[in-house]
Amino acid sequence: MHISSAVREPLVTGGKSYGDVTYDIVRHVENKPTKLWFIVMGFSLVLLSLGGFSLYKTWTIGIGAWGLNKTVGWAWDITNFVWWVGIGHAGTLISAVLLLFRQKWRTAVNRAAEAMTIFAVFCAGSFILMHMGRTWLAHWALPLPNTYGSLWVNFNSPLVWDVFAISTYLSVSLVFWYIGMVPDLATIRDRATKPLTKAIYGAFSLGWTGGAKHWQRYEAVSLILAAISTPLVLSVHTIVSMDFATSVIPGWHTTIFPPYFVAGAIFSGFAMVLTLLLVTRKVYKLEHYITMTHIETMNKIVMLTGSVVGVAYITEFFMAWYSGVEYEQYCFLNRMFGPYWWAYWSMMACNVFSPQLLWFKSIRRNLVATFTLSIIVNIGMWFERFVIIVSSLHRDYIPSSWRDFSPTIYDVGDYIFTFGLFFTLFFLFAKYLPVVNMAEVKSVLKSSTDKPSHKSH
Amino acid sequence: MEGNNIKYWKGLEELNNEPSFLKNVHDEFPNQPTVDDNSPESDSISGTHRRDFLKLLGFSVAAATLAACEAPVRKAIPYLNKPEDVDPSVANWYASSYVDGGDYCSVLVKTREGRPIKIEGNKYSSVTKGGVSARVQASVLSLYDNERLKGALEKGKAISWSDADTKIKSQLEAIALKGGNIRLVTSTILSPSTKAAIAEFTSKYPTAKQVVYDENSSYGILAANQKAFDKYALPTLDFTKASKVIVSIGADFLGTWISPIEYAKQYAENRKVGKAKKEMSRHYQFESVLSLTGSNADHRTTIKPSQVGAVVASLYSALNGGSASKDFPFLAEAAKDLLAAKGQSLVVSDSNDENVQSVVIAINALLGNYGSTIDINRQSNYRQGNDAAVSAFIADVAAGSVDAVIFYGVNPLYSHPLASKLKGSLNKVSLKISLADRLDETASECDFVCPDNHFLESWSDAEPVSGKYSLVQPTISKLFNTRQGQESLLAWTGAKVEFYNYVQNFWKANVFPKQSTYSTFNEFWNRALHDGVFELALAPSASTPNVDVNAAISAISSSKSSSELEVVFYEKIGVGVGRQANNPWVQEFPDPISKATWDNYVAVPISYAKEKGLKQNDVVKLQFKNSSEVIELPVLIQPGQAKGTVSVALGYGRTKAGKAANNVGKNVFPFVSTQGNALVYNSTVTLTKTGATRQIAQTQVHQTIMGRHNVQEATLADYVKKNGKDHHTGKLVGDMAGRYVPMINVAEGGNAEGKKAPETISIWSEKPNQKMAPNHHWGMVIDLNSCIGCGSCVIGCQAENNVPVVGRQEVINAREMHWIRIDRYYSSAAEEKVGHYQEKEQPEDNPRVVFQPMMCQHCNNAPCETVCPVLATTHSMEGLNQMTYNRCVGTRYCANNCPYKVRRFNWFSYYSNNEFDYNMNNPLGKMVLNPDVTVRARGTMEKCSMCVQRIQEGKLNAKKESRRPQDGEIETACSQSCPTDAIVFGDMLDPESRISKLLNVEKEGRAYHVLEEINVNPSVSYLSKIRNPKV
Amino acid sequence: MSATNTKYIVGIFDDEEDVLHAIPHIKESGVKIHEVFTPFPVHGLDEVLGYQRSRIDIVAFLFGLTGFLSGLTMISYMLSFDWPMNIGGKSNMPFPDFIPVTFELTVLFTAFGMVITFLIISGLTPWTVPQIFDIRGTDDKFVMAIDLAHNKLSDEQIKEVLTSNGATEVNYKEFKS
Repeated sequence: MHISSAVREPLVTGGKSYGDVTYDIVRHVENKPTKLWFIVMGFSLVLLSLGGFSLYKTWTIGIGAWGLNKTVGWAWDITNFVWWVGIGHAGTLISAVLLLFRQKWRTAVNRAAEAMTIFAVFCAGSFILMHMGRTWLAHWALPLPNTYGSLWVNFNSPLVWDVFAISTYLSVSLVFWYIGMVPDLATIRDRATKPLTKAIYGAFSLGWTGGAKHWQRYEAVSLILAAISTPLVLSVHTIVSMDFATSVIPGWHTTIFPPYFVAGAIFSGFAMVLTLLLVTRKVYKLEHYITMTHIETMNKIVMLTGSVVGVAYITEFFMAWYSGVEYEQYCFLNRMFGPYWWAYWSMMACNVFSPQLLWFKSIRRNLVATFTLSIIVNIGMWFERFVIIVSSLHRDYIPSSWRDFSPTIYDVGDYIFTFGLFFTLFFLFAKYLPVVNMAEVKSVLKSSTDKPSHKSH
Repeated sequence: MEGNNIKYWKGLEELNNEPSFLKNVHDEFPNQPTVDDNSPESDSISGTHRRDFLKLLGFSVAAATLAACEAPVRKAIPYLNKPEDVDPSVANWYASSYVDGGDYCSVLVKTREGRPIKIEGNKYSSVTKGGVSARVQASVLSLYDNERLKGALEKGKAISWSDADTKIKSQLEAIALKGGNIRLVTSTILSPSTKAAIAEFTSKYPTAKQVVYDENSSYGILAANQKAFDKYALPTLDFTKASKVIVSIGADFLGTWISPIEYAKQYAENRKVGKAKKEMSRHYQFESVLSLTGSNADHRTTIKPSQVGAVVASLYSALNGGSASKDFPFLAEAAKDLLAAKGQSLVVSDSNDENVQSVVIAINALLGNYGSTIDINRQSNYRQGNDAAVSAFIADVAAGSVDAVIFYGVNPLYSHPLASKLKGSLNKVSLKISLADRLDETASECDFVCPDNHFLESWSDAEPVSGKYSLVQPTISKLFNTRQGQESLLAWTGAKVEFYNYVQNFWKANVFPKQSTYSTFNEFWNRALHDGVFELALAPSASTPNVDVNAAISAISSSKSSSELEVVFYEKIGVGVGRQANNPWVQEFPDPISKATWDNYVAVPISYAKEKGLKQNDVVKLQFKNSSEVIELPVLIQPGQAKGTVSVALGYGRTKAGKAANNVGKNVFPFVSTQGNALVYNSTVTLTKTGATRQIAQTQVHQTIMGRHNVQEATLADYVKKNGKDHHTGKLVGDMAGRYVPMINVAEGGNAEGKKAPETISIWSEKPNQKMAPNHHWGMVIDLNSCIGCGSCVIGCQAENNVPVVGRQEVINAREMHWIRIDRYYSSAAEEKVGHYQEKEQPEDNPRVVFQPMMCQHCNNAPCETVCPVLATTHSMEGLNQMTYNRCVGTRYCANNCPYKVRRFNWFSYYSNNEFDYNMNNPLGKMVLNPDVTVRARGTMEKCSMCVQRIQEGKLNAKKESRRPQDGEIETACSQSCPTDAIVFGDMLDPESRISKLLNVEKEGRAYHVLEEINVNPSVSYLSKIRNPKV
Repeated sequence: MSATNTKYIVGIFDDEEDVLHAIPHIKESGVKIHEVFTPFPVHGLDEVLGYQRSRIDIVAFLFGLTGFLSGLTMISYMLSFDWPMNIGGKSNMPFPDFIPVTFELTVLFTAFGMVITFLIISGLTPWTVPQIFDIRGTDDKFVMAIDLAHNKLSDEQIKEVLTSNGATEVNYKEFKS
């Protein structure tokens, strides 16, 4: 069954044949890495090693290396954690939700998006470990049998929920991603000439041949994976938001956090997908696969979620005023006019005002504008988490303990580490794995491409 | 013990350096068989059970010191009928006395395995009545000060005591022979037997003369009494009898003036109120610096130092039917109240101006206070210093007419305004001896240094108030090769005598005969030793001074007030005059008012800062009237500082006290001015901005309460009213004085307005299953009315719970570790307004001050427990919120979710870490650690445990006698160290306990929970503050 | 596989439409189709080949159920029975707090259980040696394999059927066993 309306613009342009698709994608795996690739890869490795050093120092000195204090016990660490987790939402969302909605345009972008998701979750995870005072005991957060008598974990604690949510999310996304890649790996295997390459891709392609029976099961599996990943992806940021929502701190203790955080996650996730895809598209000349239609569609989603987030901000204020709780009211006034007013207003500018530009088609279809906005949005979303965490903590209930937070070089360095990690992984992926899901693109080629042709190489 | 290479084995393993020991010596947990032996770094941590951990830690610390316990135990009688020998893990208590110059406190010393580890108050003393101060409790750490001399020195080189004695003796004899002057410069001596020893010395060397020097001199009072009563002595004050009115002109009698512990104890008696007793004293304070006393006053008027005379004179005339000067608000009211309260009032002044004190004497005489609140016949000995004699001595030295000088318990080269003059001419003295315990500013200029013992190593006695004797007994044998000052003096007279025998003989001859209760001296002596004190009952007696008031007043008025900027030199509660400056606990002790640590600074009034454009932490140059020397200090904007004045604390800027104290702050003793012979602790100064800044390390940076309800207060007038709402403030009056009672709107089950008390709301039908019914529920009630904010509890807690010192930078980083803090709030003009948050942040120029001790509230719906992923903090059956340190992985979620922000995180390793080179970084300093309390590892959370180790001890003792622990048997470190008994700890399930009784009365009264509205249901309650202003 | 080499006739098609149309005719002409290999899932292929629908969803459901139940049992055992503690004054059976973890475990079990089952029943493992009839089968060609051993018709007839039904190439393929 081919669902596609003629009025829609083609998802793949340039009259590609099945052979062209294979060639356009696989050649990047088969050819030697380009100069450009070496440059960007080198850059990310530099970030990784700089950050690595900072991380090493943090762990030898102690958490005191950061700028935290008796009042502000979380700042950049959890801000970055939530930020990365948020980014890590687009991938699964695109491949799962859009699969369920039979959104064909996803096929060109889901592979890269899922990869990004997984790497982002790695980064998020690294902050879970980093922020612990005694990282070497991180495994205590798991309900493991132990020698301390029957001492288990606290299932009332949102942090334990986090542990389960993040690890489930990571592993399920990995499976989803990998299963989706198996047929393409088989393609690479079959085209490979060097025995080693053949062996490696052979092993990872699990002896896939593309038999009709396999395809039948395969489709069923991916459909169910999609079906369960959808609530999963929504649950993850819901649970992350509960770290705050279940607490007693004014500005944290807010019931709208789950939807608000999920919207924010999709928001930043799509922004990050855009940032990366625009680069990949340019470097790998994939204009025919990642078309203006794709970019515009994603821009629309960014605009929508951006506005949702904006509404959430306003709702918070209304609730603070309406509740009549003096602590809440002070908390939100303090966000706007207190010591961290600049963080608050940067957040508003980046997240609420700037996406409104996307109402203009010209901007939605403008690469430079899109790229800039996508980055602005991610900055804004970082500030959102910073505002929620720091500006709520630094002036909570008892005025005598009110203190400000300022970061140290190690706060910055450890953040840089995750950037290094993220980009290194992403560029490795871009080089050694098919960045576009060939099988899926081929399956929608007929229904969507302009003037199908069968010429081959 | 050869002091210099002293060595404590942590058990035999260390002695024979077994590899296993060396491996474990730095481990948080020595190895145990563990599930994950293959992970090398984790096995040292995870493979241990909590108990083993405590055992091992306790042992390794305790064993460190088994070497150090022999002699004194043989002679002493333990306090609570304990066996005379030391049983490991069982504390022995000894009664003794803290004596530091003129400062006195009768104490109990807790020793574990022969180590003194804690000092508490001795209830048997009618002078201090079981009270202690921060400084007294901190003194136990000074015992383990690495900077103390390890033996006698000659010209900086080590010398044996015998050689030193022969050399000194021969030189002294030579000098005496040729009639050369010998000067014995001492601090105030409270000890009668020491006085006897000095007398022996001076009789052996007729040319020897004793010069008594007090850094914080009360020469003015002494001289005035000399004139008025022909007694060179301080009177004994009794604030308990001053039940109606107290007027203090500059005297910080709750914090630093003469005998604060004694006075605070007495003062609090008339400040406590309750449903039964709805009356309290009214307290007027006229001062320049916002002192601890001033912040507790009902009316506080700011005056310049140069106005003190005018205030006193004006008060005197007002009392004589004249009219009080209009320049001083509340002076007229004070006069009126005083006249109405003859014999139940007290007027005190800290002025060192003899004339001012004469007028004060006249005032008290006129009010008939002599014989009731003041007794000159029963004199206090806290201050005996003679400024005239000291300046004469310095003149003599300068003139070269002094041949030998012995400094005993004083450090004039640091603490005297003429230090530089003295230092310059000291080389004219052929024999200079110091008995200082360290190579301090004075000792380092001396030929011989014969280090004195710490008082916890010494035998001595004290007579703080005539007729009230108390004993000083050693609680540990000498750590180093030091010798008591008295023994040194006696040695140089030729008598080789142990001061223990000397004291005993002195008591046999002089004290024993004064009593009739005990027939044999042994009985008497043992009793005295057991109680720590022996007191003769003396009835107060009246006496009429002869004062030429008019002469005094005219003398006063001749000293007119100047228009220049005046500077006041004051003592801080912690550092005082700097005798204990090298004690890191004292240095990190937050000043009760400014909350500043590790520095002194220029406190300037808000108005002055505004007009001069000064900001907090701006460094300014201080150019004093009477000196060419200039110092630079950071500015602290101090609400309540009198207009036209600034203030700087004494006791800082030591240069030769040791690591902790050297070059912390600046020394302002050189700028103390003189008036006639008397030292006057103020001067005039000009400030100039340097442009530099130096951040002052404060533990609290937000000044005001922002109109919130965590402190609740009312006026006595409201309190005595019938129940109801005050129409102006909307606050509840009557028994519920000042209470704010939050109510939550509920759908059903609410009261008439559909509201419900927060703590009656729960989403859980059933409570957590607890296998058996709880046996106790420990709790606290803190009376904000009696809490004077002195901070004694902070140090008490630090000593009891091994709270680490973190240093200036970390305090600036807001990471101090104190488990109990005293929140201090200034009133703001916008207090009652709605909104106006910016204004609410601004304190008033002369604010009302309130103190609120804040520690873990042991919530029964604890937010911290819910969020800990690893169950490292859970609730005990007895209502305690308990921390399992070695289960903690350090997510800090609990601290974030604590509404009271009382949790403290170990950002670094604070022990055996050169970054934190304080007492926990050397084996000697570690001897002060309490073996019953874990030293927390890096990356773990900690907080007030309500002294669970004390609770357990109490319960065990009771169990051994198969009974319930009695009320008062178990005290937390903070409750026992409170000099005003503001903290009541006890079992809320025991209907007979003080806390239950108190709560029964006050539940519908002044008792409230901080942040009641968020329903965390704390185990700590507060009693709202009642002020008694004139209406 | 039998001891002797198995021989296959392999028909190559250029377009999924061709295969879909061809299969019914080929079946009518009595040729048994071993399997059809395509570079991407061709919808309807399984139907024309007469495969009945996969029951993987049932597997998934069962695994999900397992996850859900084991989640609930684990939490309530650890929190409420093995060592009940007073945690912030909550009840020992705070069911609302069980929801997140139980949910995550349900998803986890479903995903892994299902995928592992799929790989096992489809014989997909890293050490599987795939039977590749034509390497273009994963690129742009649609490959139909016919096992000679299971067909009565002669090679020529089969070739004829294939070509007449739009196969662009017809080759032999042997697999050693």
